Amino acid sequence: MSIFTIARNRRKGMDDPARYPGTPRWVKLFSIAAGAMAVLVVIVLHAGGGLRHNMPSASALDDRTAPEGGR
Amino acid sequence: MAATAPGLRKFALTAHVTSSVGLLGAIAAFLALAVAGLTDREILIVRAVYPAMEMIARFVIVPLAFAALLTGLIQSLGTPWGLFRHYWVLIKLLLTVFASSVLLVKMELISYAARLAAETTSSDGDLRAAGIQLVVHAAFGLLILLVPVILSVYKPPGLTRYGWKKQRASSHSILT
Repeated sequence: MSIFTIARNRRKGMDDPARYPGTPRWVKLFSIAAGAMAVLVVIVLHAGGGLRHNMPSASALDDRTAPEGGR
Repeated sequence: MAATAPGLRKFALTAHVTSSVGLLGAIAAFLALAVAGLTDREILIVRAVYPAMEMIARFVIVPLAFAALLTGLIQSLGTPWGLFRHYWVLIKLLLTVFASSVLLVKMELISYAARLAAETTSSDGDLRAAGIQLVVHAAFGLLILLVPVILSVYKPPGLTRYGWKKQRASSHSILT
């Protein structure tokens, strides 16, 4: 933006307003959608007992697959 | 604002676009393999798919995710867009950080599925459960990473409060 444009906009009162114009509508909608998605994910995780409910730890898996020669 | 040379800026932009779009493609390939692992009736294919997915994740997806994040940071800090001035840049950053973090956490699950597939004694139920999770995560990852692409193309307007203050300050400094 050139200095002339800025000066012209200032005369018209179009630019550089005293107050912050606020959060755009698309950001608000996006935030609501993201929040709803997060709530949905939390509900699904709790309903399913957590994503790790059927995944043993690495050590548990190693124990299970240990060769039998060690007995 | 740090000003970078036009040549360097173009190079950073090229690297950013390449890594971001490459990441999307790699996740799409990962999703295709995850679906194949879940639906294919041929046991040899199912057992081969998960180690291949682990390799794609470890050697393609993770490096591309961090390359996209790093080149994005360089790109935003080296141009007038900034990192915290525009909502679309900020949301892109948050989504990329979130997706990269989830990816790192889920590497354990991917390795687990690969180990299960390599075992001949493992039950198909465990592998199927892990496979379902991988399909869900890959599909969500793909959807989440499509948003930054859309934001980059459309660049919806909207300054953050910080960006607005910076713009005001620079306008005043030009006029005075």
